[in-house]
Amino acid sequence: MKLPFSFQIKVAATLLIIASSVWAEQDENIKRLTKPQSTINFGAGYLFNDNARFGQFNGLRDDGFYGIFNLDIIRRNDDTGTWFKLQGRNLGFKNRDIRLEHSRQGNWGYFFEFSQTPRYEPFTANTAVGGIGSSHLQVPTTPTAGGPEHLKTERESFAFGINKFLPANFELQLHFKNEDKDGARIFGRGNRLGPPGPTAVGGYEFLPEPINYTTRIFGATLNYNGKDLQLSGGYYGTLFENKNKALTTTGGSSVGGIFAPALFTPIALPPDNQAHQAFLSGGYSFNPHTRGTFKASYTIASQTDGFFPTQLAAPGTPSDLHGKVDTTLVQAALTSRPLSKLNLLANFRYEDREDKTPVFLYNPNAFNVDLNGNRWTGFNTPRSFRTFTNKFEANYALPMNLRLIGGIDYEHWDRTGTPQTTGHRNSTDELSGRVELRRTMAETLTGTLSYIHSDRWGSHFLTNTTATGQPFFNLIAPINLADRNRDKVRLLLNWEPFEPLSVQAAVDHSWDDYNGDRNNSGFGIKKGMARNYSLDAVYTFSENLQANAWFSRNETQIDQNSRTPAPRVPWSVKLENSSTSFGVGVNGKPHEKLDIGTNITYSEITDKFKQSITEVECCPGNTPVPDIKFKQGRWNLFARYALQKNLGLRLDYILDYFKTNEWTWSGWTYTDGTRLSQDQRQWVNFLGISAYINWQ
Amino acid sequence: MPNDFKKLNSVMLRLVLLILLLCIMPNAIAQEEDDSEGEAPDIVLRGDGKCTKCHDETSDYPVFAIGKTKHGTVADSRTPTCTSCHGESDQHMNNDDAMPPPPSRTFGKNSTTPVLERDQACLDCHQGGKRMNWIGSAHANRDIACTSCHQIHTDRDRVRDKMTQSETCFTCHKEQRAQINRPSRHPIREGKVVCSDCHNPHGSAGPSMTVRDSVNETCFTCHMEKRGPFIYNHPPAQENCAICHNPHGTTAPNLLKVRSPFLCQECHEPNTHQSSLGTITGAYARNTLARGCMNCHTNIHGSNNPENVRNNGLFQR
Repeated sequence: MKLPFSFQIKVAATLLIIASSVWAEQDENIKRLTKPQSTINFGAGYLFNDNARFGQFNGLRDDGFYGIFNLDIIRRNDDTGTWFKLQGRNLGFKNRDIRLEHSRQGNWGYFFEFSQTPRYEPFTANTAVGGIGSSHLQVPTTPTAGGPEHLKTERESFAFGINKFLPANFELQLHFKNEDKDGARIFGRGNRLGPPGPTAVGGYEFLPEPINYTTRIFGATLNYNGKDLQLSGGYYGTLFENKNKALTTTGGSSVGGIFAPALFTPIALPPDNQAHQAFLSGGYSFNPHTRGTFKASYTIASQTDGFFPTQLAAPGTPSDLHGKVDTTLVQAALTSRPLSKLNLLANFRYEDREDKTPVFLYNPNAFNVDLNGNRWTGFNTPRSFRTFTNKFEANYALPMNLRLIGGIDYEHWDRTGTPQTTGHRNSTDELSGRVELRRTMAETLTGTLSYIHSDRWGSHFLTNTTATGQPFFNLIAPINLADRNRDKVRLLLNWEPFEPLSVQAAVDHSWDDYNGDRNNSGFGIKKGMARNYSLDAVYTFSENLQANAWFSRNETQIDQNSRTPAPRVPWSVKLENSSTSFGVGVNGKPHEKLDIGTNITYSEITDKFKQSITEVECCPGNTPVPDIKFKQGRWNLFARYALQKNLGLRLDYILDYFKTNEWTWSGWTYTDGTRLSQDQRQWVNFLGISAYINWQ
Repeated sequence: MPNDFKKLNSVMLRLVLLILLLCIMPNAIAQEEDDSEGEAPDIVLRGDGKCTKCHDETSDYPVFAIGKTKHGTVADSRTPTCTSCHGESDQHMNNDDAMPPPPSRTFGKNSTTPVLERDQACLDCHQGGKRMNWIGSAHANRDIACTSCHQIHTDRDRVRDKMTQSETCFTCHKEQRAQINRPSRHPIREGKVVCSDCHNPHGSAGPSMTVRDSVNETCFTCHMEKRGPFIYNHPPAQENCAICHNPHGTTAPNLLKVRSPFLCQECHEPNTHQSSLGTITGAYARNTLARGCMNCHTNIHGSNNPENVRNNGLFQR
């Protein structure tokens, strides 16, 4: 049968249309799966409750509407490998980030970045102190009620960087970052006089510290990336500048004679300082089984900020500290696999921080007899440190996918310094040994069991003395210098009993035994303990539905002893911190157009202060330090619904809960009348609805 | 003639249609060929046809998303191929079984490829710069593979996203997962400070893999006002910030490990007021409430005031 020509034309045309549409769809699918995709997300959210904690770092503190705006624009020229990226996150909030990046992969690139990070003080200050935020404060002379002040600081950083690949496997990188931090934070002044002391009543005044800092970090690095040899050398510079040199006040309490708070002005604020580092690091693969790495750097840090005018200047005092600290670092490591089953590692690190600041007499008043009959020196106190850290580790493969690891760490510190009111020893040494059994690459059960023991000891403690050479108290070895024995056991198990379920259990327990006393005083830190348990599980119901859950219990404990002020009754305290936390999350795609996810986390944290005595003759009216409890939880929910292939809606819901009985500020009133408070129970609801558009 | 012309016209039209079909349907034809024999066309990477003829997005191991990444930017001559990372995998490819043996190198959680060998696939290109110390680092020595943390076949590597990075770290670091929810904390949950701001997980010359050469130098990248040196320096602040602070989160204010006065009593001699009991009432509440000992010892990290009242260690001004 002969078909009419017109029919043949129609068949051919139909085939053409089908073929071209199949081709177009296939091409579109390939493009969708293999080419970068851009997204813009915009909408609005409503915060239903004022709060102090939830919005501490994102600015979501006052109820009302907030903009939702995120963007992620990515373009790539496939012919040249040139990328353009513009990424913005939380642009409608106060913790926004935006970054622009343009690069030709493997050739050159540059970026610009802006970031804003607020920090709102979670406590509200009701204060009559004036001038907050400036470097001059007006302080009431008598207790005065004031209005609410919400202190905050905010960081704004701007950064850019350039990189260029050069011939012969070299790459040059330049970077610069400028960060301004502005605002005010809790600060104050006071003296220790007052009951039960013999003389005047003490005073404590609320002086918010003005923050107006600029921090700059910049540098240049030249990298060489060869097959066996890699090198990285360059310069790293940091500058700190404080627009406020000192905090001055008018007013304030004049009670206390020469120690009256009103006379504690000016108060020093952080001085400008800078550091410049030259460094060279490298790695060399001697052969496929042996590699060495090293880093050497030299840093010159200085602090030459001019002193502000003071009422008292010792004769010969320079106009600035001439602070200078030079730091030398040398680090080298060698790893080798001499046998197929044996890996060895040796690591050596030497750091010498030499404080070259000249010593002058700054405070002639220190020579005057204090209320306890002692005289002090008044010289500045440069301190130098030198550390040697060595590490050796061997790792041997056993049957059944087991590995046995043994290691020794040794650390030695040399410190300069003169003991006065706290203990000092010129050197400490710490030796640690560890053994670990690890099972990897097994189908259902893998894990690690390890044990570490370390001992710290040191040279003899120097005798604390006053300026006249009289022995001061020599009863406590500071926590970072005291002899210490530490034992730690750690167990980590990964178990996959059947395909969709994986379980992870982790336990670690450490015990510290300190010899925190001197001269058999029995005081100082005695023991420490930390215990952590956690259990995690992940269950994959299907490709479109996964769930996870976790539980953690963390406990720490410190035992330390002291004695009260006269009549010097010994006492001890057991400081306990415990927390129980859990989380549950589900992510799923119940429908081809719908993605949902939810996550709940909850923590209960308790601090306990178990003191052996709470009352003593010297200081009546004590109230034992109550336990502090924190409860906090958060429920996150999101749903994303695709209206079209490239267009959809997103819903976000957050429920945040915070509760505490914390008493840090609740029982405290400054002499000027300032009080700080917080809402001890905070519920926050946030609902956001936004649209997203994708394109390629 | 008219009939001949008509015939010729018809033949010509058919030829044109055939040519059009041949031109417009190359993919369909190629696909047919893919399923039969011969070289399959590349989709993303050079020479990936032999892989993508099986591993499309419907397979158990979808791979196309690598095209969205830097590893899929073929204009860069350094861009790897499938076999650069997975090996030649001859046995895997030349096998008609429903469950062929795995490729020469695999990276998933049940991979039997030794970790060193897996990492070498990455280190062949990424050994320099900030990854120079990977071999010999604490992570490498604990058999953590690059792919334990990094996802390669995706345009969103979770560990390189500030909002999700910590979840990857918390897979092992459980204690820190609990600590970041404590009331005194860094803005880690908000993605403003992330683990890699302080730690280089690929190894470093600093302790605990800090990004700078020491704990303090790392802290100073954001808290440079504490660097000094000052006229009067508080020794532990110069030695190691972590003597007093736990940067991962605490219940005491300002990330202090323990509250005042207990923290200070771990070093200071029990002379007079230094050793008072903790109390929230009475005269010595001033050592416990508000800023605690810092109510008087204001500039606790160090003071640059040449005019300090009484002894040089008081940091009152």
